[in-house]
Amino acid sequence: MLAVDVKNIKKTFTSKQDTVEAVKDVSFQVEQGEIFGLLGPNGAGKSTTILMLTTLLSITDGKASILGIDVETQDKEVREKIGVALQDTGIDKILTGRELFVTTCRLWGYSKADSEKRTEELLELVGLTEAGDRRVKTYSGGMKRRLDLGLSLVHSPEILFLDEPTTGLDPGSRRVLWEEIKRLRDSGVTIILTTQYLEEADELADRIAIIDEGLVVAEGTSDELKASIGGDVITLSFYSDEDLEKAKNILTDAVQSKDELRITVADGASKIPEYINKLISEGIEVSTVSASKPTLDDVFLEVTGNRLEGTEKPAEEEPTTTRKRRGR
Amino acid sequence: MQTNRSFAVQLQILTKRLVLRFMRRPLAELPNIFISAFFLFVYDGALGGVFGGSAQGTPLDFANGNFVNFILPVSIVSASLSGGASGIYLVEDIESGVFKRYQSMPISKWAIILSPMLIGALRVLVQAGLIMVIGKFIGADPAVGTVGFFVVLSIAFLWGMGFAGYSVAAGVRSGSSQGAQAASFLFFPALFLAPTFVPREALRGWLATASAYNPTTYVIEAMRAIMVEGWVMDVLLKGYIAAGMFAFVTLSFAVISVGKATEKA
Repeated sequence: MLAVDVKNIKKTFTSKQDTVEAVKDVSFQVEQGEIFGLLGPNGAGKSTTILMLTTLLSITDGKASILGIDVETQDKEVREKIGVALQDTGIDKILTGRELFVTTCRLWGYSKADSEKRTEELLELVGLTEAGDRRVKTYSGGMKRRLDLGLSLVHSPEILFLDEPTTGLDPGSRRVLWEEIKRLRDSGVTIILTTQYLEEADELADRIAIIDEGLVVAEGTSDELKASIGGDVITLSFYSDEDLEKAKNILTDAVQSKDELRITVADGASKIPEYINKLISEGIEVSTVSASKPTLDDVFLEVTGNRLEGTEKPAEEEPTTTRKRRGR
Repeated sequence: MQTNRSFAVQLQILTKRLVLRFMRRPLAELPNIFISAFFLFVYDGALGGVFGGSAQGTPLDFANGNFVNFILPVSIVSASLSGGASGIYLVEDIESGVFKRYQSMPISKWAIILSPMLIGALRVLVQAGLIMVIGKFIGADPAVGTVGFFVVLSIAFLWGMGFAGYSVAAGVRSGSSQGAQAASFLFFPALFLAPTFVPREALRGWLATASAYNPTTYVIEAMRAIMVEGWVMDVLLKGYIAAGMFAFVTLSFAVISVGKATEKA
């Protein structure tokens, strides 16, 4: 049975002033035990999709089910199967971590004794045992996110929804949380997470759906998505905007991304001299050139025509960079 | 996993969470207690000499010689404003996303909504109780005996729940805890367009008319009857009806407002 089955869901918000289609048409399936990433920029419709799947928003059109249970008509049953850590779910900062766990355990039906036992397990799991008796307002951002994750695991959910779980965290805290998310996946929990970080989707997600303007524009494993570009990416930058404009007219297969030109070709490293010579012959000075394997950002650029905001520098550039000095 | 929890148990767990918050912020209780106690001391100090023991046998002796008994209900009505914290608690939960966390669990929405109202009720009991202790310390002595304090407390509780409902509705409709707090401005006309310092018979003109339509009037008069005169049942009944109606109307308004604000978009 599929963990999550989403068929052509739509979400329209209507107010007196206007109508906004936050999710236009989203479909995907998630197998049990996998991490499924919804990747997209702010406002793409990721969080709205998650809110619909977690029963917190109604679905305007389409169907969605969690472990075969209809999200729209059986919301109470769905809530029993899922754990939710949303971007804007709050934590009572005046209470201690331990008190929050005990309260949540009690609400999930644990007896007092079992609540205390489960609290200890979860504090240990998310690495907050020592901080358990401190008020949450004294926690760092990373500790709050781990607490949030722990609270969503109280009832051992089969499916976990994480909405931008590492947004705003420093790289160290992000990595700690990634390890915990992977460990959960390894223990059999199905995880659906949204992210605007390419590196996060690459690192965590078994499969990825790229969402842009309320639509799924690409779906597959990270490798499949990168392979769909069909080659390497040559990136060229220039000393002046004038040169950039001229080069764009000469290299007609190039796509502009900010102040760079990117060309997707097979065997990129071997093609670099050809492009450089072509540009030099037209009197255009190239500042830097590199060939790299495609990143998810390249996939995003390819399918949407835009860069994903908040993108971090690709980590897998090949050492084929050549640099032409001005006035050479 | 299933919650297997009854509504009452969910309500109890969620209320306990707010009790912890309430106990962690004791200083938040001080301003209202201070104002209520201040009213008691200042009014007794300023007017007790005129309307207290020295007025006995004169037409000004409406306090039966003990002005603390007469003025204590004003401070208790002031203390019952602390029920207004309900709106602040609820809107804080909505603003901070705590409400959404609980909504994503299979627990009753009404347990989430009612728990801050119960905390409002608890605050009323604590604050009004404290004012009574202070009143007793400076000479309050109900005409019906000690049981009078409990009768007065029960009226204060109903009245406080009315304010709780009002603040919840105001907070949810304004969408901010500041909105819930600001809505307490209603307290001043409610308290002072009433027989606050003298019996209603002594009021004149527009104030007499306004006080006749102000439910606070009947609440204060019922408390005063217990403190000053004894079991005056018709006055007592009017007090309970006024407080009960106020609570019913505002709590209904609160339930409708919160229901609308939290329904699935």
